Amino acid sequence: MIGPASSVREQWNQFVRDLLNLFANVLFAVSLFGVWGLLTLIGVVVDQGRDPSDYFGAYPPAVARLILRMHFDNVYHSAQYVGIIGLILTSLAVCTFKRVIPARLPALRPVKIEHMPLHAAILVRGTYAAVRERIDRFFSERGWTIRKREFGGVEWSFADRHNWARRGVLVAHIGFVIIAAGTTIYWARGFSGTTTVLSGAAATIPQTGARLFLDRFTYRIDPITTKSGIVYQPIDYVSDVHVTGRDGQSRALTIRVNHPIDVDGTLVYQATYGFAVDFRVTKDGIPVPGIPTRPLEEGAGFALGDTGRAIRYHQFVGTIDRTNGGIAADPRPNDAGVVVDVFDGDQQLGSAIVPFGKSLDLGAGYRLTPLHYALYSGLQYRYDPGIPLVGIGAFVLLAGLCISLYLLPARLYVRIDPESGTSPSAPTRWRVGVAATTVKGYDVFEEQFRELVSALERDTRTAPAA
Amino acid sequence: MPLSLDQVLILVAITAYIISTLALLTYLLSREPLAKRVGVPFAFVGCITQFVELVVRYQTSHIWPLTNLYGSLSLFSAMSVAIFIVFALRYDLWFLGGFVEALAAGFLAYGLTWNEGYLPPVPALQSYWIKIHVPLVVSSYAAFMVAAVCSAIYLIKYYFERSLVGGARRALRAAAATPSGSVGIATMQRIESDEATIVTIGESPNIEAAAAAGNVTAQWLATLPSLAKLDIMTYRIIAVGLPLLTVGIITGAWWAKEAWGAYWQWDPKETAALSSWILYAAYMHLHTRNAWRGVRCAWVSMIGFASIMFCYLGVNIWISGLHSYKM
Ligand code: HEM
Repeated sequence: MIGPASSVREQWNQFVRDLLNLFANVLFAVSLFGVWGLLTLIGVVVDQGRDPSDYFGAYPPAVARLILRMHFDNVYHSAQYVGIIGLILTSLAVCTFKRVIPARLPALRPVKIEHMPLHAAILVRGTYAAVRERIDRFFSERGWTIRKREFGGVEWSFADRHNWARRGVLVAHIGFVIIAAGTTIYWARGFSGTTTVLSGAAATIPQTGARLFLDRFTYRIDPITTKSGIVYQPIDYVSDVHVTGRDGQSRALTIRVNHPIDVDGTLVYQATYGFAVDFRVTKDGIPVPGIPTRPLEEGAGFALGDTGRAIRYHQFVGTIDRTNGGIAADPRPNDAGVVVDVFDGDQQLGSAIVPFGKSLDLGAGYRLTPLHYALYSGLQYRYDPGIPLVGIGAFVLLAGLCISLYLLPARLYVRIDPESGTSPSAPTRWRVGVAATTVKGYDVFEEQFRELVSALERDTRTAPAA
Repeated sequence: MPLSLDQVLILVAITAYIISTLALLTYLLSREPLAKRVGVPFAFVGCITQFVELVVRYQTSHIWPLTNLYGSLSLFSAMSVAIFIVFALRYDLWFLGGFVEALAAGFLAYGLTWNEGYLPPVPALQSYWIKIHVPLVVSSYAAFMVAAVCSAIYLIKYYFERSLVGGARRALRAAAATPSGSVGIATMQRIESDEATIVTIGESPNIEAAAAAGNVTAQWLATLPSLAKLDIMTYRIIAVGLPLLTVGIITGAWWAKEAWGAYWQWDPKETAALSSWILYAAYMHLHTRNAWRGVRCAWVSMIGFASIMFCYLGVNIWISGLHSYKM
């Protein structure tokens, strides 16, 4: 009984060891980075959060199906995206404990100096004590921290530079973990949403019950003459609101782009604006029942009685170009109209520009007339208790990056042996072996090592013989 | 029509870059000190003139010049030359100048095609953050451009060295170099790969041999720094670019939080920047591995720069039609 159980345990332990080794492998981490980068890029190239039909319109059917099946239409909230970040965090944790800490904070150990890629040896005259004192002083004077250890009767000096900076990687990794924690807090406890409000109407933030009454929305768009003609440049968007928060007091505030307001910890932003339109639909001159009575916002639609057809208010047109019936460049409402799309089921039958007050013949006796427009303000609200943590994480990550990229922790191994051929009982010539390692390989330190050894040689040559 | 001061300065900058490019390319090919002596001052002139031009544009219009692609490309080209100059002064990298400045002049000329005159900024850009965020991000792009040039030179030298022996593995084998005569016993070595035995190398022995045999390309390549040095230079330049990109993304996120309510909205621009950041973070990790340092990292740096170009120009030009920027 004991045999099979212990072999199962052994297999399990082996499996865990293999798994930990895999997660501790930097190449595995980089592969995860690769997948993360790729998924992120897919989200840039593939328009996010669209209607499935939009993908079939934009891509060949096979690609559109792939996008939908793989959830690339909402990739950043897909299981694979969250999963890859989870794997990265796991890999980061395992790697930190299994690889980074042991590799970056090595114990003081003797080495075979001439086997180290960066090594040198110089000959120095004097007594052992004087030579050692001279060598140690040389390094201390240049900012190296000296520690001495004896191994097997041989005294070693270990000289370290920027030793504390070995923890820079840990700092960077911890920063990344803090950011991940901050974003998780938002997912767990935060919320956000958008709402549109007509001037003179109110909106409520459902999660907090705060009420936003829009006194008025104003905008400014200026015609500017550029080299390629006149462009209409948005200059300002302003929502004047009365806000009633938890305390029940109504306060007059102004929301502008870049200047959100704070309602009991929830920030409210100016996000968009638009023109809401009242439509009238008649059949043989008689108003058709069931048409929305409140003004429609851009993108909204309604069914046309029981015809199976539907109308979508696609876009507000500020100025109709009367010369060709198209849309003029000036977006301000000078000679306004709307673009409407007509659908039969899912099939778009066509679209048309209809000036205000004029009617569009929809066939079978139906007529559509845009009557008036009113400005609405698009507000976005967000409560994100994770922000302070994300901020701290970003700062820590940056600090870790700077520490690890700009400081080069290096260690010198120094061992002094009697020069062969000198009197073993009272040697007066010593072979000083120096080897160096850094956390970023050897090439990066090669020139400095060369200069250091030359300086050491000069220093010990000029030193008064003890 | 007489040229405005603005236009004169741009003309001076482009002319200076062209002269400097030609001189520093000559220097790269011939190592002629005179060419360097001509090229270096013109690099300074071009770069300083561009910064002066940006200030003049701001003074004249009172509009922060980085609100459109023209302004940001001007800063990009000026910053790439500035970063190149700093590294060249510190590590004697003047031989990179021809390529860097040719690209800088090219980007500046391309930027001119986006010059629409003075446009006041749209509401989202009316923020002090634009003065912090954009220069940081553009500077990081500039650093990555200089790093990519360094990697390109690395790859040219590496593949030429390889072609001389017809195989990658045998390419870097040679006698040990003694770093300093007086040190005497010291031997510099380099581990070629994780699993390989320690291989001692000189600079580029096959190139040196071919140069001695009269191969002109080899004679030229022999004058370039060693592959190891080129690799480290690339690493050091990316070590400037990555923190700049990191701060750039952080300040962008901060600004987004102020302007749009969320520090991260998966907007194409921020997402493309994140992709590039991931690539360069991968570079940094791969560079800690002996087997990856060198040619593979040089390729990662090249791919990284391609992703930066996609993020910088590609998203603006191709993606903006799909995802529109918020106001
Ligand atoms: C899957 C996640 C990650 C893993 C497994 C991982 C692992 C490692 C390892 C093993 C090293 C090298 C340690 C050594 O050999 O001395 C390293 C270095 C480093 N890591 Fe990470 N890392 C991860 C994510 C990150 C992230 C997101 C950052 C943020 C920028 C980061 C920043 C750094 C820095 C700055 C270095 C030092 C590079 C250098 O010294 O040149 N790491 N990482």
